Amino acid sequence: MKFSLSSLTLNQKLAIVVGVLGFLAVFAGSPYRGFTSKIDSQELASIVEKEIDHISPEELAGWIIAGNVDYRLVDLRKEKDFAEYHIPTAENILLPTLGDGQLERGEKIILYSVGGIHSAQAWFLLKANGYKGVYILRGGLEEWKDKVLFPRLADNASPQEVAAFEKSKLVSQFFGGTPQIGGTAVAATPTMALPKLEAPSGTQPKISGPKKKKEGC
Amino acid sequence: MNAPFFKFGLFGDDVSLIVAFVIGIGFGFFLERAGFGSARKLCAQFYFTDLAVFKVMFTAIITAMVGLFWLSWAGLVDLSLVYVSPTYLIPQTVGGLILGAGFVIGGYCPGTSCVAAATGKLDGFVYLGGIIVGIVVFGEVFPLLSGFYDSTAMGQITIPEYFGISYGIVVFLVVLVAIGGFAGGSWVEKKFAAKAKEAQS
Amino acid sequence: MAASEKAVVLDEVRAQSKARVAREAQPYWNPYVAGLGLGLVLLAAFVVIGRGLGASGAFSSLVAATVQTVVPAHATSNSFYAEYLGDGTKSPLKDWLVFEVLGAIAGGFISGILAGRVKKGVEKGPRISVGGRFGFAFVGGIIMGFGAKLARGCTSGQALTGGALLGLGSWAFMLAVFGGAYALAYFMRRQWT
Repeated sequence: MKFSLSSLTLNQKLAIVVGVLGFLAVFAGSPYRGFTSKIDSQELASIVEKEIDHISPEELAGWIIAGNVDYRLVDLRKEKDFAEYHIPTAENILLPTLGDGQLERGEKIILYSVGGIHSAQAWFLLKANGYKGVYILRGGLEEWKDKVLFPRLADNASPQEVAAFEKSKLVSQFFGGTPQIGGTAVAATPTMALPKLEAPSGTQPKISGPKKKKEGC
Repeated sequence: MNAPFFKFGLFGDDVSLIVAFVIGIGFGFFLERAGFGSARKLCAQFYFTDLAVFKVMFTAIITAMVGLFWLSWAGLVDLSLVYVSPTYLIPQTVGGLILGAGFVIGGYCPGTSCVAAATGKLDGFVYLGGIIVGIVVFGEVFPLLSGFYDSTAMGQITIPEYFGISYGIVVFLVVLVAIGGFAGGSWVEKKFAAKAKEAQS
Repeated sequence: MAASEKAVVLDEVRAQSKARVAREAQPYWNPYVAGLGLGLVLLAAFVVIGRGLGASGAFSSLVAATVQTVVPAHATSNSFYAEYLGDGTKSPLKDWLVFEVLGAIAGGFISGILAGRVKKGVEKGPRISVGGRFGFAFVGGIIMGFGAKLARGCTSGQALTGGALLGLGSWAFMLAVFGGAYALAYFMRRQWT
């Protein structure tokens, strides 16, 4: 039977194209490739070096007091530790569940753990998966305790330091902490009581994020 | 490539609204091109004289489905980030039956009624008014219905997932059903058009 | 020119312009080509935004916004309307679907203008009156609005989008729509045939 390609109607041509594409799909495997992470080691290394993605506890404290809702504060510690004390407005998300979809790639995400190791690891994980606005709380909870909850003013402080300490005092009291004045500068002892969580906690975003996005039809 | 672009934060909510408008223009444009601003053409589907509704809808479905499959397979789009509306099997089925009835009674569906109104069809405007009332009625009786409304929730589940068939096979089957339907549809149209001519002569 | 001659000329002009309008209304596109275009628009929505099309949701937002303006307490206490009001930080009308539907109206108009199909009229079959058509259109709209909300979508959102994404409920919905429509077609034949 003589069969010339040009004798097909437009409809038949379209049908053949889509039929072939559909047929090949059978052999193609799963379409769920997910995100292919292209890790630019140099770029990441330079970000780490310049500490661009670090946020100081004082900065974070300022945002919480101001009532900002444009960020997601993620506590990576165990649930027990989270329940005992967490930074107000934080959500408890464990490392293994970070990629589960609770966080969106376009959001500003601040990570903290006890010190800095877990948050650094989580930072790398998220950056490699296409999350853009990921930040680490510098020093983690330890530095938060040190600088925000229990700020110290040494005896031999300069007038500028005394003036600056006024603000730290207010911030500390906002979060239910205890400013330490006088004595030689001593690091916060482990026995120092952490504030109960009835302290003013600022806005508490729901676990689904501060904005409720309806994607229905 | 980081797609869906919006899900990777390439632009914000405000720009997404502009994108919505532009995509909407394409949507309305092709609906009108197909003749779906005309209730008569739409409802001819249900009398077998003009199966354009089936042809247009299924061509669009297989185009988007096959396109998305291959783009995702090639790593250009992250399929898991595309929003699949959750399945509530019974309410969706019952709602579908009701909607189908409303379609053949009213002559349009919400999207096509916009196109009809845009091209001056007065019955399209009346229909839009009806939709608003229908939504208000639903909203008011919602407290009574909310149990039913939330029943048989199955989450964001796809046919490949539910039946345990590979995605590619389902894609191929849908394409086959569509092409088969197109061929069969043309035959059906001819038969019913001939019948209609007979009845007139 | 005598009055009768003027009348003849006017009739001639009227007939010519009617014919011109009739000729200008172009035929509809090949349904497969139109479907291809529609499918590409849908695909673009998937790739750019990560969601599909829709229509009924925009009307829900409109209703919720109106109820909120008129009877605010009722809107927030009713969980259906409240869903469309979000967290109160922005207007429910600043919604993706609302803008998309506005675009659809514009797109339909543009296509209609280009094809000479924008004309005041009423779509109805030969055996029914305009008033009857309006009545059915209104009732059908009410039923459709109710059904669309129960099904959490309409043909654009659930059938088209959900169909392309192989959603289980969406396909069930699609089959039900055709089923419901065909079931009632016999009773509506006076309106369309």
